[in-house]
Amino acid sequence: MTTTFDACWLPSSSSESPTAESPLAWETIDLSESLAVRYPVWSDDAAEWLLEALKEVGTRLADVPVRDVVSGVGRVADRFLDSSDPIRSRAIDLLVPTAGISKEMASEVLTGMARDWTAERLDELLQRELRDRGVLDGFSRLDEGRSMRASGPPLTFHVGAGTVPGVSVTSMIRALLVKSAVLLKPGLGDVVLPVLFAEALAEEAPELAGAMAVTYWLGGSSPLEGLALERAGAVVAYGSDEAITSLRARTPVTARFIAYHHRLSVGLVGRGALTVERASHVARMAARAVSMFDQRGCVSPQAIYVEEGGAVGPGEWAALLASAMADLEAELPGGYVTASEASAVHQTRGSAELREATGSGVRVFRADEGLWTVILEDELGFTPSCLNRVVSVFPAPDLCDVAGSLGGVGRYLQTVVVEGADDRLPKLAEALCRAGATRITSFEKAPWPPPWWRHDGASVFAGLIRWVDLEEIDP
Amino acid sequence: MSDAFASLAHDLGAAFKESSGEPWPDDVFERWALRVFAYQFETNPVYAAYVGKRGVTPSRLAHWGEIPWVPASAFKAVPFVSGDSSRVQRVFRTSGTTVAGRRGEHHVLDLNLYKHSLVPNMRRHLYSGILPILALAPAPAQAPESSLSFMLGVALEVLSGGEGGFFVTQNGVIDTVGLSAALVEASARETPVLLAGTAFAFVHWLDWLKEQSGGFNLPPGSLIMETGGFKGRSRVLGRPEFYAALSEAHGVPCEAIVNEYGMTELLSQFYDGPVAATSGMALEALGARRHVPPPWVRTRVLDPNTLSPLSTGEPGLLCHYDLANAGSVMAVLTEDLGIAVDDGFRVLGRAQGAEARGCSLAMDDLLSGVPS
Repeated sequence: MTTTFDACWLPSSSSESPTAESPLAWETIDLSESLAVRYPVWSDDAAEWLLEALKEVGTRLADVPVRDVVSGVGRVADRFLDSSDPIRSRAIDLLVPTAGISKEMASEVLTGMARDWTAERLDELLQRELRDRGVLDGFSRLDEGRSMRASGPPLTFHVGAGTVPGVSVTSMIRALLVKSAVLLKPGLGDVVLPVLFAEALAEEAPELAGAMAVTYWLGGSSPLEGLALERAGAVVAYGSDEAITSLRARTPVTARFIAYHHRLSVGLVGRGALTVERASHVARMAARAVSMFDQRGCVSPQAIYVEEGGAVGPGEWAALLASAMADLEAELPGGYVTASEASAVHQTRGSAELREATGSGVRVFRADEGLWTVILEDELGFTPSCLNRVVSVFPAPDLCDVAGSLGGVGRYLQTVVVEGADDRLPKLAEALCRAGATRITSFEKAPWPPPWWRHDGASVFAGLIRWVDLEEIDP
Repeated sequence: MSDAFASLAHDLGAAFKESSGEPWPDDVFERWALRVFAYQFETNPVYAAYVGKRGVTPSRLAHWGEIPWVPASAFKAVPFVSGDSSRVQRVFRTSGTTVAGRRGEHHVLDLNLYKHSLVPNMRRHLYSGILPILALAPAPAQAPESSLSFMLGVALEVLSGGEGGFFVTQNGVIDTVGLSAALVEASARETPVLLAGTAFAFVHWLDWLKEQSGGFNLPPGSLIMETGGFKGRSRVLGRPEFYAALSEAHGVPCEAIVNEYGMTELLSQFYDGPVAATSGMALEALGARRHVPPPWVRTRVLDPNTLSPLSTGEPGLLCHYDLANAGSVMAVLTEDLGIAVDDGFRVLGRAQGAEARGCSLAMDDLLSGVPS
């Protein structure tokens, strides 16, 4: 039997809802034998109604104290984390066919995401980014000679990528914290959590849920997209370079445009982590970082550089990594892949196996069933992964030389994992900064950046808030 | 040329020549395939090591379908030569998408074997008589690395009696004036022609014709052969739209437009008409067309995940076993999705997801715009 999930949540506060007067037309995509996703087709009139309704609620949102936003969102996060709450199991069941991940992975991802939506974490985010969250409610004296106020736009328009489920919810929460009404077009792979989040928020904090609309459409195909780009005070876009380029071109110059385009991440393992005691542990953490989200995250390492000269050499470490990848396939099985994704893995693997067969130093470790693949390369370089748990291991004569060889990908570089650099870490961090990295961390932390992570190098609220300085004026 | 290869190539060439075009019985193909595989196992150490890792040897092989394939992209990574690499006569290179700046290479030990494969196949599908060939591709001398130019050059010489010419320059510019004149002349003399080239070149040709408000009314019996698709190109045209435009601009019925499915990595090609067509060549029936392999090629459709063979009607990845590849590797797994249908297969296009997932980048994206 096929269940239909509505990839749509609309504010019901307005009495002039078009759903009553002229019902929306719907389209359906069959995602699996058991699940279809239904989404509304927006006419010009309906799009106009929705944006007006959001704007109206958005204006009232400005009067809700930020502590209420934090506590309302926090209550929803607690429910997603509570294994006895039916919303959690419903979310996991729906994530499997929509995000194309295994049930085990869905549970892991939901926990990892929702723990950063809790009141405690949001409070810490506000404290770290704004010093005084009161600036979101009124003017506050942060330093000498002026008072300051941080104000969000009445409406923000969010376009999600659908790559990693939950990212769109994080994006919506940030807008709610600055008291903006939210229109979200999630990617198809991330339709579930925003809708369930909005549903739960309607129960926990109705005044907030009224300021949110979530509706899927095929990118570029809806009149709502053009209208939302025109009306929103800020546009937050996640996606491919092509998608971002298109949205950026259609965003008015007066609106803030916050973009998260393609990125890639790599790992560096130094001699300090290649001792007999540590090497296996680091390999297990690396396997987890690579396999999380089936490697579809921008934080997922695509290549790992392993320093030569340690007690465990790059070849031995690659074998440890392979063994850990195999274990992890059992613990967090890979999800659904398209024919194209599977084909890319077969082509990559087969080519690497033929390079191995030439008698070069290349070695290939691979799953018998499943897609994970570790390719030990024989010289320093960089190859982007075809994803779905395919990672290259490059031998590096000296860790400090790796930053230089990443120069070509600097424009896309994001997270760089560094393990075992020991006292070379400051020097290495400086070199990675110059190479374009925006985050340096461990394999263990790599998949789960904290809420205050300056994603791709910008402050969390930088594009979302407008600072107002009230300078001291003689009465 | 090593004696073993010379004798294999000689025997294969003779068998291709003698073939009527009808599929060979299973046991005939099997015998040839096992002979070619045994030869490649013997003479290509890289392939032999790769095959060995899969626990396969010629003596343990029960069926040609067990011959290990190599992925098409491996032609970018490894030079496949089954035989003496100092005897390589020509290296054909792929165009289009490159990985890390590398193009796929097909090292050809015997250009004659390629000719023996392409000539009867083209004759069967495109030449009911001697047709002049007008090629929307660079001449072989201008593009020695293009297997397509080589093929069209052979066609000009052997099948078109030397009549016709090439109308794309070395730099990829179409000689619009020359081609127009040739088409006008063909119409005036009422000589049917074969107009052959890449889909991409045809699109530019059509754009130019449209600007000039030009068009032709080619004599009955004229054919158009297009190949290559639009992979990685800025302009993409749907096939029905493309064929309708070709048909209108040249005054040939849609039934006379044939797609050639070929790749640098294979020395045999596949055509979807008109011989392949028993019915359904009209524009409305484009989706029902199928590509037919020559008798010395067998194509399997493999499950994209498990890579086990699928039965007729199920979509999967196309894997070709091409005996004309005797000097390189005969079994090649492509990235093309297709369905097996009676005597051939239907190409569904490149394996593509509905929506790209993941921060995945092609090397081209990474390198584009980076000052070197």
